[in-house]
Amino acid sequence: MIELVSSLVPIADSFTPFIVDFPFERNYVESIIYVSLYVSLTAVLISTLVSLPIAMLVGFSEFPGKGFVVALINTGMGFPSVVVGLVVLFTVSNEGPLGTFDLMFTTEAMIMSQFVLATPVITGVSLAAVSSIEDGVRDAAYAMGGTRLDVALVTIKEARYGIMTGILAGLGRAISEVGSVLIVGGNIASSDGTSVTRTLTTAIQLEARQGRFETALILGAILVTLVLLVNGIVLRLGGGRV
Amino acid sequence: MIQQQRGEREWGANDGLALKNVSHGFDGTDVLDEITLTVEQGETVAIIGPSGTGKTTLLRLLALFYRPDTGTLEMDRTDVWTLSERERLNVRRRIGMVFQEANLFDTTVRRNVSYGQHIRRSWTNRLNHWLSRIGNEDTSQEVAEALDVVGLADAETQPATSLSGGEAQRVAFARALAYEPDFLLLDEPTSDLDPRNTAVIEDAIETARARGLGVAIATHDMNQAERVADRVAVMLEGRLIEFGPAERVFTNPDDPRARKFIDGELVY
Repeated sequence: MIELVSSLVPIADSFTPFIVDFPFERNYVESIIYVSLYVSLTAVLISTLVSLPIAMLVGFSEFPGKGFVVALINTGMGFPSVVVGLVVLFTVSNEGPLGTFDLMFTTEAMIMSQFVLATPVITGVSLAAVSSIEDGVRDAAYAMGGTRLDVALVTIKEARYGIMTGILAGLGRAISEVGSVLIVGGNIASSDGTSVTRTLTTAIQLEARQGRFETALILGAILVTLVLLVNGIVLRLGGGRV
Repeated sequence: MIQQQRGEREWGANDGLALKNVSHGFDGTDVLDEITLTVEQGETVAIIGPSGTGKTTLLRLLALFYRPDTGTLEMDRTDVWTLSERERLNVRRRIGMVFQEANLFDTTVRRNVSYGQHIRRSWTNRLNHWLSRIGNEDTSQEVAEALDVVGLADAETQPATSLSGGEAQRVAFARALAYEPDFLLLDEPTSDLDPRNTAVIEDAIETARARGLGVAIATHDMNQAERVADRVAVMLEGRLIEFGPAERVFTNPDDPRARKFIDGELVY
């Protein structure tokens, strides 16, 4: 990943003098992009693995309190990120249940907080997507001799564009998040200027607070470009139907 | 036990798919009441009756969608619901079903029709098959033959979404034939089709029967039942009021209500 980012920087360098003097230390931007992508993509991957089974289970079964569970998932989509950050901070602090793992101000803690934020979004949108698949499609898979797993896989395949949209929405929520990663990550850069837990969003926040609006704007443009790039790739893979 | 002569064959005396004294309902409402019906390999049974009389529920019981509230479902004289889940899966895999709607998957015609074969492979074989497909054309004799039966041999690579309603239903029929089941359950498969597509499906039913499949078709269309069926079951208000050879049921039914229904006098 870091090699890929590094290979893109000379291209970016060749364009930036035309816009503005590039005001960063060597490797500063690459390391921030790397940490941002590493944390967000990992969190979204884990969220997806957790969300899809939940969406399938809730979507296809009837049980007392189902409405409450759906309401809970939908409420989760709007969780204030700073509250999530506080909860994760407590969880990984010395007094918390995960205190022994020494996760405070690490990328792992940031992944945890982004996981909590992205999971309800991916679950909620995926739930809507699988619920919209007609019973007849599942019946057809079952009638041809499909097992429960076969029927579930057919449903995921049929709902793939909706699920992809959910994953993209989760990624958007995760990568543009600032409050919780600032609390649990600490926005730390090493002495040589490279990022330890600094992401694009926390770096933007820092630069803006210090009055370096030009730098903050460039980082913002990089963030927007990254999100557009990921969306473009997914759109391409989905044949333009996402 | 129902035993009727048709040619030299003694219907009802052979192995097959059988509901015995089956009653079933939903949410406290009885839908089927004491149904006894057999479908043997090599015959077509038409199930006729007014809307809401339980034809679809009956077919879905035969396809193992539901466990009967009372009574038994037997395959070759074995009570299916006493079997283990694995054994029941093997029974289900001997049955194909076509619904009123085509319910095709959002992929190519070929992928739709080969789905039954696909899920019968072990996970390792699925992976090997998937790997072998990379860079090669995915071909299957059974898929090609099944599509040929419904006159869509040239449509293999088309997206299912590009088909007309009639073509989609024909693909659904081919999809149920391609994995070579022993029994085929058809739930009003031509109710939304034009005469040409209806004729293609009826020819395909005859082909399936000639290949030795046992076919059960629920239909509103009395003429269709007369054209395709060896035996006819007449249902009324969840009960089977008449079951016998098509010729006898249409010309001289035992139950006067069946007579009225066949003559179009029983209006619901």
